[in-house]
Amino acid sequence: MSDDERGYVLYRCRPEWSDINPIPQEEGPTSVVQIAYSEKFKDVYDYFRAILAKGEKSERALELTARAISFNPANYTVWQFRREILRALDKDVAEEMKYLSMIITEQQKNYQVWHHRRALIEGSKDASQELKFTSKIINHDQKNYHAWQHRQWVIKEFNQWENELEYVDRLLTIDLRNNSAWNQRYFVIKHTTGFTDEVLNNEIEYTMNKIDKAFHNESAWNYLRGILQDRGLNWSEHVKTRVDLWRNENIKSSQFLAFVLSMIEEELKTGDCENVEEKICEAEELCEQLCKVDTVRRKYWSFVVQRLQKHLQ
Amino acid sequence: MDQFERSKHIVFFNRVLQILPNRYSSLDSNRMTIAFFSLSALDILDALHTIDNTNHIIEWIYSLQVLPDKSGGNRNRCGFRGGSYNGVITQPGDTFTDHDVEHDYGHIAMTYTGLASLLILGDDLSRVDRKACLEHVRALQLDNGSFKTTIADGGESDMRFVYCACSISVMLNDFSAVDQDAACAFIQKSLCYDGGFGQGPDEESHGGSTFCACAALQLMGRLNQVLSADVIEKLQYWCLHRQNMGFHGRAHKDDDSCYSFWLGATLKILDSFELIDFERNRDFVLSTQDAVVGGFAKWPQINPDALHSYMGMCGLALMGDFNLLPINPALNITQRAVHHMKQIHKEWEKEKLSYVNIENKETVQNINKSEPTPNTFNYKTVIIAFMIGLGPALLPWCYRMIFNRGSS
Repeated sequence: MSDDERGYVLYRCRPEWSDINPIPQEEGPTSVVQIAYSEKFKDVYDYFRAILAKGEKSERALELTARAISFNPANYTVWQFRREILRALDKDVAEEMKYLSMIITEQQKNYQVWHHRRALIEGSKDASQELKFTSKIINHDQKNYHAWQHRQWVIKEFNQWENELEYVDRLLTIDLRNNSAWNQRYFVIKHTTGFTDEVLNNEIEYTMNKIDKAFHNESAWNYLRGILQDRGLNWSEHVKTRVDLWRNENIKSSQFLAFVLSMIEEELKTGDCENVEEKICEAEELCEQLCKVDTVRRKYWSFVVQRLQKHLQ
Repeated sequence: MDQFERSKHIVFFNRVLQILPNRYSSLDSNRMTIAFFSLSALDILDALHTIDNTNHIIEWIYSLQVLPDKSGGNRNRCGFRGGSYNGVITQPGDTFTDHDVEHDYGHIAMTYTGLASLLILGDDLSRVDRKACLEHVRALQLDNGSFKTTIADGGESDMRFVYCACSISVMLNDFSAVDQDAACAFIQKSLCYDGGFGQGPDEESHGGSTFCACAALQLMGRLNQVLSADVIEKLQYWCLHRQNMGFHGRAHKDDDSCYSFWLGATLKILDSFELIDFERNRDFVLSTQDAVVGGFAKWPQINPDALHSYMGMCGLALMGDFNLLPINPALNITQRAVHHMKQIHKEWEKEKLSYVNIENKETVQNINKSEPTPNTFNYKTVIIAFMIGLGPALLPWCYRMIFNRGSS
């Protein structure tokens, strides 16, 4: 439904609409942020205003809302009225979903289309197509926030956890920097097995293997920090061993150095170390290194040194 | 470093305030937010005086206020509209709607930007039905503590509207419409494992929602109550790692000019803004500037739009660049507009106090003229009516007493 369809007839020229008096948009005495609407846009919305005022919930009104949506898919009042018409006419949800899927494919980052989808499913309770549909959108744009939001809602609401970890794993194999997929990983585990010791150890292994492939992958490091935050960064011997190994390999990634620094900060905070002065020196050295390899955050790394020294006083 | 094209930006925002071409039709339902971006931008540029007629704009904003009907029973549908597309506008001088319009209702983001715009323009909010605006906000809070956009069938709910609700409450100096405990619980649940905030629980941490969460907490005065020192440290770490040259909203996404505000303002709220790399941030935002038509774009070399133009400029204002006026990071308006808001609040306080002082009856009569109380018991009228009724009965008695005539 594009603006320059051939054979498009304005509503005011359609005999089947002759009973309706279109309502032009009133602006009041002044107008701000005016839009130079096209003739077609004005015509559609003149008729939408009339239908809204009349409260007409008919097939032709339904078609009119689709046309209005094509001109402004963000109009929340049009979407809401469309939902009322669908309910009044007891329309087939599957048909509406087909129409909606097409719109979402064109307008993937629009809030109203995704809300409409959720509203339909809340009514029909049929979420059988949703994982497939969101995968399709995510395939096209790995980080589409709306698609991930909708996917999470469907999984939570309709208990569709079963294959999600596998799906996440597939995405992370394609792109280990996909932050949305890492977030989804945390989401699935949190709500299914939980981060038991056994699960946590598996996740540590998984994450460190991914880190090994790309040391500067912030998403993986954030995930590692995140899963360890309850027990502490120094909880796992496996992590400590691997970190030592990487230190020996002279890994210069700022993400890695920052992690080592955080481990030391934690030790100093919990009072869990004997050689406090040595640790502080180590931390200060790391901050110095970080100032050189992560220059954007040089002021932050200097601040961390001060924070450490303050904390110990 | 590119030059800051001040005069071009002034032209750009004035043009947006006037008219946009047809290809911007998808902004039709949120013209109010676009007006806010332009007005606030011109305020930051200290160029409000370049606007042709600010009274016209004030009138337009008020024409988008949804008013309650005479019974006041539908205050939860009030607030402000995004535009006049649904066929209803409010006429100047109206304090009620005189007809029931089912599909006419306010939208929380339009109420927020409408009120902010009025403050920027120096309006005293005297024509705002504050009670109705607050009822509208109250009606939009959900059980989980977040807020939806409209009363109709809700619309989406997420951190953006928690922020809108808190901003509205601050501007109207009244938090009674917000269950703050519930809102804070929602915010807390939306903290992501990596230290940032998502749009809701379990969702990916994002620069926009992180701003909304922190600013909402700041506006509620609960930042340090809800966020422990440890959480703030991790949040600071996450925010600072969003800087590449400019800022981006999520790990591994490209820098985008608007995040110079979302993250910049968050870092201001966390008292950590001084730790960013000012020069790289400035260079990036300026690289998105359109030196021909003015404004800023999301990325370099693409067309500017109102949102990124405004946010990009806010990003520069946070650094105190180019003589831009200082902005309040939580409310996202100039400190000057905040000062004006505080003056209005002082006046409201004075009115409240005079109402308590019953010796000053004249002031009592002047309180909230725009809000009639149809069910108030008017004692004066009753006494007068009683006297009128009693008069004829007393008159013969008075005559006998005065002229000492015999019994009737």
